[in-house]
Amino acid sequence: MPKVSMTVNGKRVSGNVDARTLLVDFLRNEQRLTGTHVGCDTSQCGACVVHVDGKAIKSCTTLALSCEGANVTTIEGLANGQDLHPMQAAFRAHHGLQCGFCTPGMIMAAIDMVNRLGFNLSEETIRENLDGNICRCTGYHNIVKAIQAGAAAMGGLKVAAE
Amino acid sequence: MDDAPPVLVHQAITHDSAIRHVTGAAPYIDDLPEPAGTLHLALGLAPVARGRITTLDLEKVRNTPGVVAVFTSKDVPGRNDVSPSLGDEPMLAGDEISFHSQPVFVVAATTRRAARIAARLGAIEVEQEWASVSIADALSTGETVLPDYAFRRGHPEPAIDGAARRLAGEIEIGGQEHFYLEGQIALAVPGEGEAMFVHSSTQHPSEVQHIVARVLGLADHQVTIECRRMGGGFGGKESQASHWAALAAFAARLTGKPCKLRLDRDEDFALTGKRHDFLSRYRVGYDERGLIEGITFEHLARCGYSADLSLGVVDRTMFHSDNAYYLPHVEIGSKRLKTNTVSNTAFRGFGGPQGVLAIEQVIDAIAHERGLDPLDVRKANFYRDGSSVTPYGMEVFDRATLLPLVEALEASSDYRARRIAIAEHNARSPILKRGLALTPVKFGISFTLKHLNQAGALVHVYSDGSVMLNHGGTEMGQGLYTKVAQIVADEFGLPLERVAITATRTDKVPNTGPTAASSGSDLNGMAAREAARTIRLRMAEEAARRLDVAVSAIRFEDGLVHGGDETMTFAELARFCVLERVSLSATGYYRTPGITWDRAEKTGRPFFYFAYGAACSEVVIDTMTGEMKLLAVDILHDCGASLNPALDIGQIEGGFVQGLGWLTTEELVFDNEGRLRTHAPSTYKIPVASDVPAHFHVELWDEPNREDAIYRSKAVGEPPVMLAISAFMAIADAIHALAPGNPVQLRAPATPEAILDAIDRQRAK
Amino acid sequence: MYNFDFHRPSTLRQANGLMGKLEDAKLLAGGQTLLPTMKQRLASPGQVVDLGGIPELAGIEQKGRNLVIGAMTTHAEVAGSALVKAALPGLAALAGSIGDPHVRNRGTIGGSIANNDPAADYPGGLLALGATIVTNKRRLAASDFFTGLFSTALDEGEIITKVIVPTGAKFAYAKFRNPASRYAMVGVAVAKKGGKVAVAVTGAGSDGVFRWEAAEAALQKRFSAKALDGVATPSAKNLNGDIHASADYRSHLIGVMARRAVTTASGK
Repeated sequence: MPKVSMTVNGKRVSGNVDARTLLVDFLRNEQRLTGTHVGCDTSQCGACVVHVDGKAIKSCTTLALSCEGANVTTIEGLANGQDLHPMQAAFRAHHGLQCGFCTPGMIMAAIDMVNRLGFNLSEETIRENLDGNICRCTGYHNIVKAIQAGAAAMGGLKVAAE
Repeated sequence: MDDAPPVLVHQAITHDSAIRHVTGAAPYIDDLPEPAGTLHLALGLAPVARGRITTLDLEKVRNTPGVVAVFTSKDVPGRNDVSPSLGDEPMLAGDEISFHSQPVFVVAATTRRAARIAARLGAIEVEQEWASVSIADALSTGETVLPDYAFRRGHPEPAIDGAARRLAGEIEIGGQEHFYLEGQIALAVPGEGEAMFVHSSTQHPSEVQHIVARVLGLADHQVTIECRRMGGGFGGKESQASHWAALAAFAARLTGKPCKLRLDRDEDFALTGKRHDFLSRYRVGYDERGLIEGITFEHLARCGYSADLSLGVVDRTMFHSDNAYYLPHVEIGSKRLKTNTVSNTAFRGFGGPQGVLAIEQVIDAIAHERGLDPLDVRKANFYRDGSSVTPYGMEVFDRATLLPLVEALEASSDYRARRIAIAEHNARSPILKRGLALTPVKFGISFTLKHLNQAGALVHVYSDGSVMLNHGGTEMGQGLYTKVAQIVADEFGLPLERVAITATRTDKVPNTGPTAASSGSDLNGMAAREAARTIRLRMAEEAARRLDVAVSAIRFEDGLVHGGDETMTFAELARFCVLERVSLSATGYYRTPGITWDRAEKTGRPFFYFAYGAACSEVVIDTMTGEMKLLAVDILHDCGASLNPALDIGQIEGGFVQGLGWLTTEELVFDNEGRLRTHAPSTYKIPVASDVPAHFHVELWDEPNREDAIYRSKAVGEPPVMLAISAFMAIADAIHALAPGNPVQLRAPATPEAILDAIDRQRAK
Repeated sequence: MYNFDFHRPSTLRQANGLMGKLEDAKLLAGGQTLLPTMKQRLASPGQVVDLGGIPELAGIEQKGRNLVIGAMTTHAEVAGSALVKAALPGLAALAGSIGDPHVRNRGTIGGSIANNDPAADYPGGLLALGATIVTNKRRLAASDFFTGLFSTALDEGEIITKVIVPTGAKFAYAKFRNPASRYAMVGVAVAKKGGKVAVAVTGAGSDGVFRWEAAEAALQKRFSAKALDGVATPSAKNLNGDIHASADYRSHLIGVMARRAVTTASGK
C-alpha cells in the first residue's frame, strides 16, 4: 500500500493506505478525527469540509494521496486547548446548531469564507457562500448570524449580538 | 416546600452538546470506537419493484475476500418482520419482492468496503410482475394497506348543493425525503448469553428493542437499545430505524461478533420511507362572503408496500383538514393506497401538513373566486364561539388564541399596506409578479394512538450532590435533553452543570413511546419532574429533620438547601441522606390526561390542546421561467410559556424552512419501474442558506398554555412546518395576479416548472 | 470505488511519460467529477495520474490580447483573478457559478473541459469565446475540441496544458441552475466581438454544447435582447428531457437565458 504523509492540525502524520482512500476516511479511520462527518457521500452536503493548505475542500471528494505533503486542518484543530476559536464560540453563542452533524463542516466553511472575504461579511454574502453546506435543522438563520458574529470576532471587531 | 419560581426554565439556554458540536467532540454512532472484531454489513437489494425470486445465487458473494457470512430470510432465528404493527415488513425478502431495492440478503465482512463489493455480486433472479407505482396505478388496482376511513358531521352533500357558490377541485401534494444529515445506522454488540446491545440512531428505542427481540426470538429483557443523539430525525427514525438495528443484531447473533450497518445516502433514499404524497379531492359550498357551508374531502394517500404508520399519518391528515376553520357540514374520507414503493412513514407533521395544505388551497380558491382577500376569508371561517367543534367532535376550547394571534401578525407584518404595494407593483411589472399570503396553523398535540402518550424517567442523586438524569425521550437536535435538564435542575435548585444528561437506554427507562408528535418535552419533562420531586421530597424531609423545621420550610436554591435560618449545601444534604439510608433514586412517570379518542366510534378527544401559529410570506416569481424567490417571512408562533425560547425559535425557523423545501424544491421522482430517480442531494434539492430571506422574523406569542402542560409550555416540533404553507399560498397569489378572479391550480412542490405550468393555465383562463 | 495505482508526477514531462507508458490511465485534475463517478463505479481506471502536483500547469497570465489559463487553475482562481475580472468579467462570473465554494477550490478548468459534461459551464463559455485548447501535443479550437456528450477530440493519454481565451469580447453567461446539482439545466453564453456574435448553449442539447445560429444571426443585426423576439428557440426534439426539466421547458429557457446573457453582455 502506498504511503502518505501530511500535517494534520499541526502534527506530522503518515500512514499506508489503499490508493482509493478518501481524505475523510484517512482522517476518521486512521487518525480517529471523527469530527469530520460524512453526510451524503456525493460532494453536496458539506459535512466533510476541512481545510487543505488553507482552503476549504470536501474531504469526501479528495484522495488522501492527493494531500501528500499538505497542511490539513479539521474541526479538532481549531480550538486552543479550552479556548474555542471565535467562530466556534459564535456558533455556540448564537445557537447556530441543532443536531450538530453539519456543524463542523459549517464552521470550516465559515472560516474559509472569512479567509477569502474578510471580517465584515454581509448576510447576503454569507448566504451565497454557504451554497456547499446543507443544514436540515436550523433553517440557517442562526448559522448566518453566528458566521457574521464569528467573522467580526475574528477581526477583533465588536458587533453587538442581537 | 413550595415551588420556587423557575431559574433555568423559560431561559434561552444553549444546547447541552453545543461545545462538543462546535469542536467535533460529540460522537454519533459512526464515530464510536468499534469493538475489536467488528464486522461491517452491506445489503443485497432487489433489482425490481415487484416479482417472485426464482433463484438466489450467493456463491460469488461468499467467495469475496473479507466476507465472513451471508444471510437470507431463511436464517432468521425469530420472526422475519420489522414492521411496527401489522407484521407486513420482512427484514429480508422471502420469495416475494414488494418494492425496488428491498433488502434480500445481508453480507458481513471484515471491512465495509469488502461487504459492499460482495453485496453487489449476488445473483437475484426474479420473475418480474407489473409494479404499481403511482396513485393512479393504485386506484386502478384498488389495493390498499388498510381499510378506508372517514368521519362526517351533518349533511355535507345537501349543504354544498344548496350553497350560493360551489367549487370542486383536486390538489396534488408531493412527498418528502427526511434527509437527516446522519444517515441510518446501527451497531450491535453481542453480550453475555443471549443478550444483545444495540447502538441505534432511533427516535423510538423501545420499539427497536421489541423488534430486535422479535427477530432474534428473544424476550425483551435480553435486548438493550441505546441512543445518545441522532444527527437529525424528523420522523424518519421513528419506525424506520428498526430495520437496520434488527439486521445488525441478527448478523451479530449469528456471527457472534459486533456488527455495524450504515446505509450510504443513495441506499437511505431508496430504502427508507418518506412523507406521504397525496391527491386530495374536494367539493365545497359557501356563501357570497366566502363562509363555508358544506365541504367534502377525499384524501388519497400513497402509502407504499406496507402499513407502517399510515393509519395514524392519514388519520392526522383528516384531523387537520379543518386547520383553523369551522366546517359546519363536512365529510372527510381517506384511502390508504398500496403501491410497490418503499413504505411511506412519519415525517414532521405526520400527515397534518397535507390536510392543512388542502384546506388552505380551498380557502384560497374561494377567495379568488369571490374576489376577496384570502386573509378575510380565512378570518371569516375561523373557529369562534358557537362554531367551535371540529369535524371529529372535539371542542376547540383554546380557540381564543387564534384570532388575536393572527391579527397581531397582520399588524406587525404590515399585511394590508403590503397588499396594496404589491398590487401596484404587479400592475406595472409585466414579468416579475409578487405575491403575499398570511396563513394560520392550528395543530393538535398528543399521539392519536392513546397508549403512546406516556413517558418515564429515572433520576439519581449521588452522594456528592451530582445528579444523573435519564428519560425515554431521544435527542435529535431539538434540544429535548437540554429542556428536561433545565426542569430537573430547577427542581433541585442546582446549576445546570450539576445535572448529567445520559443516553436514552431501554434498560433505564422501559416501555416508552417514540420521541415524536412534538410531545418529547411535554411527556418526558413531566416524567423527569415527577422523579426529581420524589427525591426532593425525601431530601427535604431529611433536611427538615436535621434543621428541626417543617418540611414546608425547606427551600432548594442556588445549590443550597435552606430551612429556617440554617443552610447547607445540596451536596452535604445528599451525603446526609446516604448516611441516613434515604433513597436518592426515583423513577417518574407521566401520562397525558383527558384524552379519550375512540377511533372505531369516532368520538372523544384526541388532543390535549392545540398549538397555534401564523406566518406571512412574500415572494416574487419570474413569469418567464417560473423561478421563485422568497423575499420576506414574518412569523408569530405559540409555544405557550416557552421552556427555552432559543431552542423553540430554532424549531420554528428550522421547521419553516423544512416545510419550504417540501412545498417548493424537494421533488421525489419515481420512474415507471418503481425506481426512485432522485436519490441523492445532487438530484433532490434541499433548501440552502440562500433560499432563505434575510428578512425572517420570528416572534413568540406569549400566552401560557391553558392546559396544565409542563410549565404551561406548548409543543413546538411539528407545527412550524405548516407555517411554510404561507410561502406556497404567496406563490399562488402571485400567479393569481395574472388572471384575477380565477382559482389557481398549483401542484406541490412548486418547482419552477410547476409554477410555469400554473402560469400557463392561469393565462388560459 | 475500485482500487487503482496512483501516480503524482511533479512535472509535465513526468506526466507525459506516465501517460505514454500506463494502460487504462485516467488523469485526475481536481477530481470533483471523476471521484464521484468512480465512487459510483461508473468509471474504474486501473491507473490514476494526479496532475495536482505540477506547478507549471496552474496560473493565469495575460499574453497580448489573450488570457492564458493553466489547465490546473481552479474555478476559484479564475473567479477571483483580477486579470480575468478586468478582461472578461463574464468568464470570472461563469467560473464563480460552478458548484459551490469548496468544489471551486479543487475543480479545474482543464478537468471540466476534458470531461465535457453536457451540463458543465465552461464548454459553453469557451465555445462562444472562440477559445483555443492547448495540449501536450497540439492546439485545438474549442469548436473542434467539444465533440459530443462527454466526448472531446482528446486522444488517449493527451494532456490539456492550458486554455487560451481571446479577450476584447462583450461576453456574458446566463445559467438556469439545476437547483440540486448546480449544473446548468440550461446555460447560454453570448460573446460579441466586432460584428461577430457567438451564442453557445450548454445543459440542454442531447448532443452536448451547441451554437444557436438563428440567435447569432439576429444578434449580429442588433445586439439587444429584443432582437431575439420572434426567433424560434431550438426545437425540443433535439433537447434533453429528464427528471429535472422537460425538453419543452429547456427550449423555453434557452430563449430566456439568451436574453439575460445579451442584456448583461451589453452592460445594460
